[in-house]
Amino acid sequence: MAGVAGGNDFQWCFSQVKGAIDEDVAEADIISTVEFNHSGELLATGDKGGRVVIFQHEQECKNRPNLRGEYNVYSTFQSHEPEFDYLKSLEIEEKINKIRWLPQQNSAHFLLSTNDKTIKLWKIGERDKRAEGYNLKDEDGRLRDPFRITSLRVPVLMPMDLMVEASPRRVFANAHTYHINSISVNSDHQTYLSADDLRINLWHLEITDRSFNIVDIKPANMEELTEVITAAECHPNQCNVFVYSSSKGTIRLCDMRTAALCDSHTKFFEEPEDPSSRSFFSEIISSISDVKFSHSGRYMMTRDYLSVKVWDLNMENRPVETYQVHEYLRSKLCSLYENDCIFDKFECCWNGSDSAIMTGSYNNFFRMFDRNTRKDITLEASRESSKPRATLKPRKVSTGGKRKKDEISVDSLDFNKKILHTAWHPKENVIAVAATNNLYIFQDKIN
Amino acid sequence: MEYKVEAHRIMSISLGKIYNSRVQRGGIKLHKNLLVSLVLRSARQVYLRDYYGGICLSAQQAREWCEGEYMDSEQDKLVPGSTESLPESDGQSEVAVDKQEPSNVVESHAALDVESEASGEQDHAENGVLDSGCSELKTPEESPEASPTCEVSNVENLHEPIVPHTCTNRKRSADDSELTDSLPKKTKVMSSTLISKNDEKKAETEEMDTSNVSSLITIFGSSFSGLLSSEDGAQPDSEAEDSDSGQICCDQMLKNLNPWSTAIVAF
Repeated sequence: MAGVAGGNDFQWCFSQVKGAIDEDVAEADIISTVEFNHSGELLATGDKGGRVVIFQHEQECKNRPNLRGEYNVYSTFQSHEPEFDYLKSLEIEEKINKIRWLPQQNSAHFLLSTNDKTIKLWKIGERDKRAEGYNLKDEDGRLRDPFRITSLRVPVLMPMDLMVEASPRRVFANAHTYHINSISVNSDHQTYLSADDLRINLWHLEITDRSFNIVDIKPANMEELTEVITAAECHPNQCNVFVYSSSKGTIRLCDMRTAALCDSHTKFFEEPEDPSSRSFFSEIISSISDVKFSHSGRYMMTRDYLSVKVWDLNMENRPVETYQVHEYLRSKLCSLYENDCIFDKFECCWNGSDSAIMTGSYNNFFRMFDRNTRKDITLEASRESSKPRATLKPRKVSTGGKRKKDEISVDSLDFNKKILHTAWHPKENVIAVAATNNLYIFQDKIN
Repeated sequence: MEYKVEAHRIMSISLGKIYNSRVQRGGIKLHKNLLVSLVLRSARQVYLRDYYGGICLSAQQAREWCEGEYMDSEQDKLVPGSTESLPESDGQSEVAVDKQEPSNVVESHAALDVESEASGEQDHAENGVLDSGCSELKTPEESPEASPTCEVSNVENLHEPIVPHTCTNRKRSADDSELTDSLPKKTKVMSSTLISKNDEKKAETEEMDTSNVSSLITIFGSSFSGLLSSEDGAQPDSEAEDSDSGQICCDQMLKNLNPWSTAIVAF
């Protein structure tokens, strides 16, 4: 599976864009999470309004085998509503922080979606048949007069228009004092973890009224708080292992077999800070915003504000690879602090073969790094380059004094157009990029 | 001088963010407020360092004072997450871990006199002296501010009158390089000499006629304690702390808003 554009044989091209074209973006429409399911057939997005939209990959057209099928809306439902915590006089946002799919076990699909406080397990099922010929009620549902019934009949299943139903099967609530930032389904397919700023809980998918607290970094005295948990993930094939990242730029790997409370880590990953680059904002930019295991489980990737790092789980003292995402922003940290952009939490993702990684940036740019060839590319998600199957042109930000043609200077970057959420199809070269309220789908050119 | 203005600006921006986080939908975000408080403290340290631009302190006296403290060289090797393995109490080690942040910039504070010392001295006396000393003083009572105020009380209790050195000229770039050279993030190295100088400066802080600055310093005494009340003393350790902190901070800030704005205007 090819990785990244840069060679002559591989290029990304536009496939689809979902979402309104209006310049005026409603806050509720801003996409807050994107996730492919394990087969890549379904693509789920969550937004700030608490809605989940699921797209399904339709079968390729038999007439035109060269075209990869498109993603069309499969199901839309309201996952979370705004709530009010009366005890603390706090509003709980309905924004969907994360969606994670469960591995498919039957014809229905299951996903976990979470906002700041509550996790819900949703079942998305199809219904394409309807029973007709009931004895006690008419076709329109009215009860039949029992005295009028003279004969019995067996209801028959008749085909109907496909209906996709989403129903909440479990609600996992009241387990987090702080804001939930991550959920991760365990490889045992029975448990999952949820992490907030100071604690990580382990749940069983069937049990909603209790969970195990497995990590608690809340200090006895809150004045001594120095770091918070920023992301957590279960290992893809070792069900006893998980990692969590911190705001100090460290990652801890924990083994649940060692103790019930995994406050002491099994492995501790930290890269020593380069003292020459210290500034007021060093702590902020070293805070890790996302951590993802590779599909193989051998590596993990972390995203901090300016870079992406790939770590070998067997080496704790430094990452094996570091990729600069937008180093040109290092001199702009003060203005980025003022406009709050420095707090943006970018996510990162692996491709299916772990040969490439992708993450977002500003100005609707997103970056891909090929781990084998060490090539990288910057692409833009924009309406201008949204002609069907149009090849995406690589973009470049000019860092020096002279700006070449087609380059963009750092000062003309639009920091309101940020790509925080991206997802890579688990098997194919198809990527989903969330740009504010639009979802772009790109794929490789099939020759 | 421009660093002072810049630090001032960053401080006021940070305060504004903390204030606004109170009214944000979804409640106070712990992570963001923690990061803002770290920036605020860094800026404050730089601001204070500039404030005491002409004051130099005796390194020798500072070292003598430090030798009188309980020393625990083990605390140098403190690594976050393994503090439980140390023989000291959890509170102590936590304070030590916390100190890593203020000590980073504490060193920049006392950058003044560092230049005059041999560079080797900077690496001298790498110890968590102040940590353990401070925490021992602290644990009996619930003082809302952690390290720096504790250091102040140390100084006031133990230190003899300071004889200020004549200060040496130092370039701004040298200061900055000292700031950046001071700490790799991981190692909890602290120069006792530098910390003690910071203490002395802190003692003088209270004497200075800048009530607004000093009151803000008391608010943002250390990593996160600034967001808790400095008036009420011990805070009940409730789950609602993170939300309460914003309110109390806001109240504190509101009280200081007027003198603060005049201070800003003055700049």
